[in-house]
Amino acid sequence: MPDYLRKFIGLLLIFAAVGVASCEALWVSCCTTAAPPAALAPRN
Amino acid sequence: MGRLLLLAGAVLISLTALMLLLKRRIRTMAERYQQTPGRFPSTRGILMFLLPLPVLFAAVASLARGDLGGLFDNAIGYGLFLGGALLLRRGLRLEAEYDRRRVAKAPWPLKTLGGGVIALATGLTAWSGAHYPPAMAGAFGLVALLGCYLSYGFDPRIAKRFTDRDGVDVTNRVLEALTQAETSIAAIEQTTRDIRNAELNSRLRRIVALARRILTLLEEDPRDLRRARKFLNVYLDGAKQVTEGYAKTHGRVAMPELEDNFRRVLATIEEVFQEQQQKLLEADVTDLDVQIEVLTTQLKREGVI
Repeated sequence: MPDYLRKFIGLLLIFAAVGVASCEALWVSCCTTAAPPAALAPRN
Repeated sequence: MGRLLLLAGAVLISLTALMLLLKRRIRTMAERYQQTPGRFPSTRGILMFLLPLPVLFAAVASLARGDLGGLFDNAIGYGLFLGGALLLRRGLRLEAEYDRRRVAKAPWPLKTLGGGVIALATGLTAWSGAHYPPAMAGAFGLVALLGCYLSYGFDPRIAKRFTDRDGVDVTNRVLEALTQAETSIAAIEQTTRDIRNAELNSRLRRIVALARRILTLLEEDPRDLRRARKFLNVYLDGAKQVTEGYAKTHGRVAMPELEDNFRRVLATIEEVFQEQQQKLLEADVTDLDVQIEVLTTQLKREGVI
């Protein structure tokens, strides 16, 4: 396999794994609704 | 959402292809100006610092939302990514050094270790940050490891050995001499900072630059070590001792005679170093001349010329 093709495939895999995992982590972190602090929770 | 991901993937692929193409083009253009082969390219490995940045933003977002668990997971993930990227970059630097030298020990496998840490960080981020199931997170880690291997390769494992004319392995002796010389040069460089005289400082900087050039010549062709033995054992060590002595003394007593003497010694050292460099370059030319002559004689004998 030519050197540049090997590096290109390697970069694609890195983008696919590291890029997707980190973007998903950001997405989850921004979209998940956090539980409100106990002080703000409605009283029964 | 699916269409957006597809679009983002297509943009990423085209950007990567464009980046590689541009890099190749620039390297081809720059090759004729490159003097030292195997010099470490400053941007190599930078990608691994940039790509995990969303994990850092995720940690910040978790902090803003008061999500302690998310902050903890993302912070650990980003820390691992950063550690892996640092190891990888250090490994790439060691590999460039190994490639440049003709005699070298196999470097520490930092590149492989960095790839492993990055794979671990990817798996951990996919599992705890992106909430993928453990098997899928493991697959993410494996893909990252494969990507690191394909893109950066594994570390060299074989030492580049050097034998003298008698066939004796002198690798350790050569490496020891080069390390000792590098230590002396670093000591002179360090002491220069304690001397507050612009003229002497610039002279010392010139001497250090000359010594480094000589050392580079010796690293490229260790056969020259025999010719440069005096430079390594006498002049370089002497220059270090004199510089350290002057730096220690001139701060306590102001003696113009001492300064004149030191200036004179530095001028002599500079001359000697220049002569040494010239000698090594001339020896290379002589070697080449001999090789050309031998080849010409052989070609004549075989009736080609």
